[in-house]
Formats: sequence, C-alpha cells, structure tokens
Amino acid sequence: MAKKTYDLLFKLLLIGDSGVGKTCVLFRFSDDAFNTTFISTIGIDFKIKTVELQGKKIKLQIWDTAGQERFHTITTSYYRGAMGIMLVYDITNGKSFENISKWLRNIDEHANEDVERMLLGNKCDMDDKRVVPKGKGEQIAREHGIRFFETSAKANINIEKAFLTLAEDILRKTPVKEPNSENVDISSGGGVTGWKSKCC
Amino acid sequence: MEEPPLREEEEGEEEEEEDAERDEAGPEGALGKSPFRLTAEDVYDISYVMGRELMALGSDPRVTQLQFKIVRVLEMLEALVSEGNLAVEELRMERDSLRKEVEGLRRVGPPDSAGGEVNLGPDKVVVDLTDPNRPRFTLQELRDVLQERNRLKSQLLVAQEELQCYKSGLFPLPREGPRGRREKDALLARASNASSSKEEKTIIKKLYNYSNKKHT
Repeated sequence: MAKKTYDLLFKLLLIGDSGVGKTCVLFRFSDDAFNTTFISTIGIDFKIKTVELQGKKIKLQIWDTAGQERFHTITTSYYRGAMGIMLVYDITNGKSFENISKWLRNIDEHANEDVERMLLGNKCDMDDKRVVPKGKGEQIAREHGIRFFETSAKANINIEKAFLTLAEDILRKTPVKEPNSENVDISSGGGVTGWKSKCC
Repeated sequence: MEEPPLREEEEGEEEEEEDAERDEAGPEGALGKSPFRLTAEDVYDISYVMGRELMALGSDPRVTQLQFKIVRVLEMLEALVSEGNLAVEELRMERDSLRKEVEGLRRVGPPDSAGGEVNLGPDKVVVDLTDPNRPRFTLQELRDVLQERNRLKSQLLVAQEELQCYKSGLFPLPREGPRGRREKDALLARASNASSSKEEKTIIKKLYNYSNKKHT
C-alpha cells in the first residue's frame, strides 16, 4: 500500500450566486491562472491543492458548486461533508450581496454545525463598478462572526491568503491525530469513493 | 385569425342555398336533400308526399298497416331531426362564443407567449421537441453522471500522484533486482518524455510484461 504524502485532508466548499467568480477564485488558487470566459459550472466540481501549514502537509479538496438555482438540490447535498465554506459575492453585483443571508441560511440548514465559514467579496479589482462598499461586507461578516476578505481572482488579490486562513482556522480546531481518521474519508456527501485506502 | 370568418361566410352561403333549394323544389325536394341537412319542415314535406302516394294506393288493409309503420318511422325521423338541429344550434352558439373569447384573449395578450395559446398554469414549461438542445435528462441522471465524473477524477489524481511518487523514486518498484532497476530507470525516463499515446501504450505493455515475468 502506498504511503501518504500528506498529513491532513480538509474539505472546503465554495458557494454563492452564479457569476460571482467562485470557479475563478478556485482556479487562481489551484492553477494560479485566470480565464475571462464565463462558463457556468454544471452542478459540482472539485480541485485539489496541497499546502503546508505549521509543518503539516494539508491536502485541500475544494468543491466548487454551481450558483444557479436549478442545481441547488445537487449542490446542497455537498454541504454536509465540508469542513470549511467560502461564501462568495461580487462587489459589482448588489443582488449577490443581498443573497448572502440566503446562502448563510443554506449553510445553517445543510452544513455541519461546526463548519468554518468565510465571506469573500470578489472582483475587488473592478473598483469603478463597485456597488457594495467594503464596510458593508465587513459589517455583515462581523454580525455573523465570520472572517471577511475582498479578493480578486483576476488580479490575484487575497486569494491564497483567504484559502490559507480558512485552512488554518480549520487546523486550529482539528484535534491532533493520525490522518487515517474520518478526515480522509471524502466519500460522505460527495459520493467520491475509492480514496479511503489509496491516498498516495 | 383569418380562417374562422371565411368559414362563417361559406356556411352562410350554404344556408342560403338550402333555402333556395326548398323554395324551388317544393315538398318533393325534401327527399333529395342530404340527411344531415334535414329540418322538421322537410320531414313534414316528406310525410305529405308519402301520405299522398299511400292514399293513391287505395284502402287495401295491407296499405293501412304499412301506413302506421310509416307514420311511426316519420315521427322518429322528426324527433331525431329536431333533436339534432337543436344540438347543432347549441354547439354553434357555444362555438361562436368561444371564438369570440379566443379573439378577445388574443387581443389582450399579445404574442408574449410565443409557444402557442396553451395556458399551462404555474410550474409548467413547454418543451419544443424539435429543439436539439431541449432538456431531456433528469436531475438524478445529472447527479449520477457528476458523481461518476468526480469519482473518476479523484481516482485519476490519486493515480497521477502515485505515478509521480514512483517517478521521483519516493516509492521503490516492487521486488527488483539490479538488472530490473536499470530497466525501470530506462522506462521511467522514457515515460516522462513520452508524448504520443502509442509510446505510452507500449510502455504500459512492457511494464505489464515485466511484472508478469517477475511474478511467474
């Protein structure tokens, strides 16, 4: 059996309205690239990125959800297994900001109670088209006791910082134990099997 | 929109013809009419004509007997014709009022519902069966396909990582002699810069043969 090349596996989830840039945020983090063409995510997708925190190799399995309403029955079934959830809105799209409360309710309804949450105001490079002041994002984050960053996948602002901070927050409350615990089981909720025993 | 008024005109003409027919042909003409056009008046005309002919046959008791039956048949015909005409009249009125309603609705609601005049009510969609991009798979089917895609993707990532580990020498190849080591290095060197799928296939085949030889 192959040896593991990481110590911990964290499952993260990206949610938010369609078109706010969830896939771009993830693509910037995982591949350090950006693409301007808008392709709606179909249902659910994921990417893997291994980072090193406090001397531990942490494999991040990041689930990217479709923001479109018609996929919600599929995407909400992936909330349960997430250890961290990034809620993304678009600072140039007021509606996406108004919907934050709806997404937070979704988290309450479908995710684990102790899930680590984070709010991201994406597209902060487009200041000329901004309709959501940074203060409003900070305020709503404070009200819900969650972290907040303004990010830009295009200009690569705060993307890595956001992911690493979320991973650190999860790491902080992760009891120290061997990695072949439930953390490695990614089959629940996501329906991805075949990882449990074979994680080189 | 143009058809209904046209048809109305046609029918109007037919009705006029009908009247003219009766006026010209007299009582005898009723027998030449289409049965679907008969009126109670026509039945009376027919009974007049037949009565006259029966009378001409004289007072044979057999004729009298036949007369009763003919009267009965004519009564039945009268009932059917009256009933039928009443029903036709009712349906015609209903049709006219429905036609008016449709025209009214068409005027009120301009062609915003371009998919036809069918009112489906809420929570329904019209699917154009000729549209190659029409929706045709269920959510469950999509869910299954996505799960399979993600499962295969994760397996691919695992396999890629494992391959990387072997390439970088992090994991030793199982049970190899000094000769095997050289062979493996050569294979790996080629695997890393193999670009054509053909070459990859031969490497897989060689690896397969190699491990087979080792085990037997």
